Amino acid sequence: MKDSRFFRRVVVTAILAWMVLFAFGPNLLVLLASFGHSRGAAFVEPGLSLHNYLRLLEPAYGRILLSSLWLAGGVTIICLVCGYPFAAILARTRPPWRNWLLLLVVIPFWTNSLVRTYAMIAILNANGIANRLLLAAGLIQAPLPMMYSDGAVLVGLIYALLPFMVLPLYAALERLDQRFVEAARDLGATPVKTFVRIIVPLTMPGIVSGCMLVFLPALGMFYVTDVLGGAKGMLLGNFIRDQFLTSRDWPFGSAASVAMTVVMGFMLLLYWKSNTRLSRREWT
Amino acid sequence: MKKILFSLLLLLLVAGNAWAAKKNLYVYCWSEYIPEAVIAQFTAKTGIKVTLSTYDSNEAMYAKVKMTGQGYDLIVPSTDFVSRMGKEGLLLPLDKKQLTRLGNLSPKLMNQAFDPGNTYSVPYMWGSTAMAVNSADPVAAGVTSLADLWKPEVKGKLLLPNDMRSVIGLGLKRLGRSWNETDPAQIQKACELLRPLMANVRVFDSDSPKQALINNEVSAAILWNGEAYIASGENPKIRYIYPPEGFGLWLDSLCIPKGAKNLAEAHAFIDFLLQPKMAAAISEEMGYSSPNLKAMELLPAEVRANAIVYPDEATLARGEFEVDLGRETERIYEKCWTTLKTGR
Repeated sequence: MKDSRFFRRVVVTAILAWMVLFAFGPNLLVLLASFGHSRGAAFVEPGLSLHNYLRLLEPAYGRILLSSLWLAGGVTIICLVCGYPFAAILARTRPPWRNWLLLLVVIPFWTNSLVRTYAMIAILNANGIANRLLLAAGLIQAPLPMMYSDGAVLVGLIYALLPFMVLPLYAALERLDQRFVEAARDLGATPVKTFVRIIVPLTMPGIVSGCMLVFLPALGMFYVTDVLGGAKGMLLGNFIRDQFLTSRDWPFGSAASVAMTVVMGFMLLLYWKSNTRLSRREWT
Repeated sequence: MKKILFSLLLLLLVAGNAWAAKKNLYVYCWSEYIPEAVIAQFTAKTGIKVTLSTYDSNEAMYAKVKMTGQGYDLIVPSTDFVSRMGKEGLLLPLDKKQLTRLGNLSPKLMNQAFDPGNTYSVPYMWGSTAMAVNSADPVAAGVTSLADLWKPEVKGKLLLPNDMRSVIGLGLKRLGRSWNETDPAQIQKACELLRPLMANVRVFDSDSPKQALINNEVSAAILWNGEAYIASGENPKIRYIYPPEGFGLWLDSLCIPKGAKNLAEAHAFIDFLLQPKMAAAISEEMGYSSPNLKAMELLPAEVRANAIVYPDEATLARGEFEVDLGRETERIYEKCWTTLKTGR
C-alpha cells in the first residue's frame, strides 16, 4: 500500500519535472524572448516591447502567414477526404486483415520523415521513377517538371501527414456503435443523411484531432518546402527557422512562433466551445 | 556494499583518466570539405583521434559555437564570420610558434582586413560564387553574363543559392556596385532589379546545387566553383562562367573557437593541413582553390590549368571578397531577401 503510493508519487513527480523542464520552460523562454530585441551581438537582449509583434503585421510577413494557412488548410482537407474512407474501410475489415493494414499505415514511421522526403526526389525528379514510367507508357513525350513546384510540396506534405489523419479517424470509427447506423436506416434515413447526421457527428472528435495533427505540422515542416519546393515559397516554419538561424533575430522568430501557438490555441478553444454547446443540446 | 561502490568509483576514475590520456580533436567543418583520407593520415601519424561534425551554413555554426561555447577545437568560418566572431571574442588567438608552415601560404590572402595579422585565422580554401550553364540546352548556352539570366526564356531553368548575400550580390554587380554595398538606396535599387529575376528561379539551393544541374532539373545556376567542378566532371557540357559584371569571392579559414579543450592538437592539425602535399590533395578532391603556394606546384597540370579551380589574374580582378556588413546594413539585406522570397 505504502509502496504503491510512493511509486505513484515518483511517477507523477517525474512526469511533472519532464513537462516543466522540456515543455513549459522552453515555451516560457520563447515567450520572454519575443518581447526582447537583438540590436547588439547577443541573440536576445531582454526587453518589454511589442514591436516584434507589430513587425509581424507588415504586408511581407502577413503574406507568409496567409500562404502557410492556405497550404496547411489544403493539406488538411485532402488528408481528411482521403483518410476518412480509408479509416472507414479499415474499421470494417476483419481482424487478421485489419492488423496487416494498420501495420502498413504505421510502417513509414519506422523511417525518419526527412529521409522519406529525400526519397521523394528519386520519384519526382526529371529522370525519376514517375517520369520514366510515364515516358515508357507513352503518356508523355518529355519529362514533366514535377520537382520544385507547389504540387510537389503538397504531395510531400500529404504523404508525410496522412497517417496522422487516418489513425484518430480509425479509432473514432471503430468505436462507432453500428446500432445507431442501423436505427437511422430503419427510420428511413437515406445513406447520405445517415452519414451527415449520424456518422459524422459521432466521429467528430476523431475528425478534429486528426485535423489538428495534420494542420499544425503542415505549418512547420520547413524541410518539405526546402527539399521538394526548391525553397521558393516561405512558410511559417521556414520563416521561424530563418529568423533563428540566418537572420539571428531570435526575438522576431519567437514572436512568430508565439503568434502561431496563439492562433492554434484559439482554434482549439472554438472547437471546445462548439463541442460543449453541442453536447449540452444533446442532453437537454 | 560500500566497499563495492568505492572500488567501482575508483575503477571509473582510473578508466576516465586513461580515456582522457588518449588524444582527441573535435573538428566542426563544412560538409564535404575535408577528404577522409587526409584525416586518416593525420591520425596514423600523430595518434590523435579526429571527430568530425559538419555544418552547411556559417550561421548554423555560429549559433552553435556561441550558444554552447565548447565542444569543438577547430572551425572553418568564412571571412565575414571570422571578423564577427573575432570581434565578439568567440575565437582564441593562434599560437604562431606551433605553426611552422605558415610561409607556404600566399601573401595575397594573408593579413586581410577581416583578421589583421592573422591573429585568429589561417586560410584553408577559397573560391568563387559564379555562374554554371549546361550548354546542351540552347537557352542556357546563350547565357554569358549576369544580365542574360533575366531573359524570359530562362524561366524555370535557373538555380540560385538559398543565401541572401549571394543573391543580392548579383543585383548589386549588375548595377556595377560593390558586392558589399552598404548604401541603403543602392541596396533597394538592387532589390527592385532582382524582383523580376525571381520569376525565372526554379529552385533555391546552397546545400548541393550540383544535383539539380546534373539531373537536368535546371540548366543555369549560380553556385560555388567546387560544386561546378564536380558537376562538370559528371557532365562535360556543364561550363563555369565568370560573369563580366563581376562575382563574389570567399575564403574559409581554420580557427580555434573559444572553449576549445585540445589546443595543441588543433595547432598540430592546422600545421598538418599546411603541408603542400595535404593542401594539394584537398584542393584536387574538393575542386576549390588552395591558398597554399607550394601546393600549386604539386597539383596535376589539368587541375592547375582548370579555370573553374584556378582562374587567371584578369578574371580574378573582377571578383570581390565578401565582408561583414554590420548589423544595421544586414537588416536592410534581410528585409529585401524576405520580400524577394515571398513576393512571387
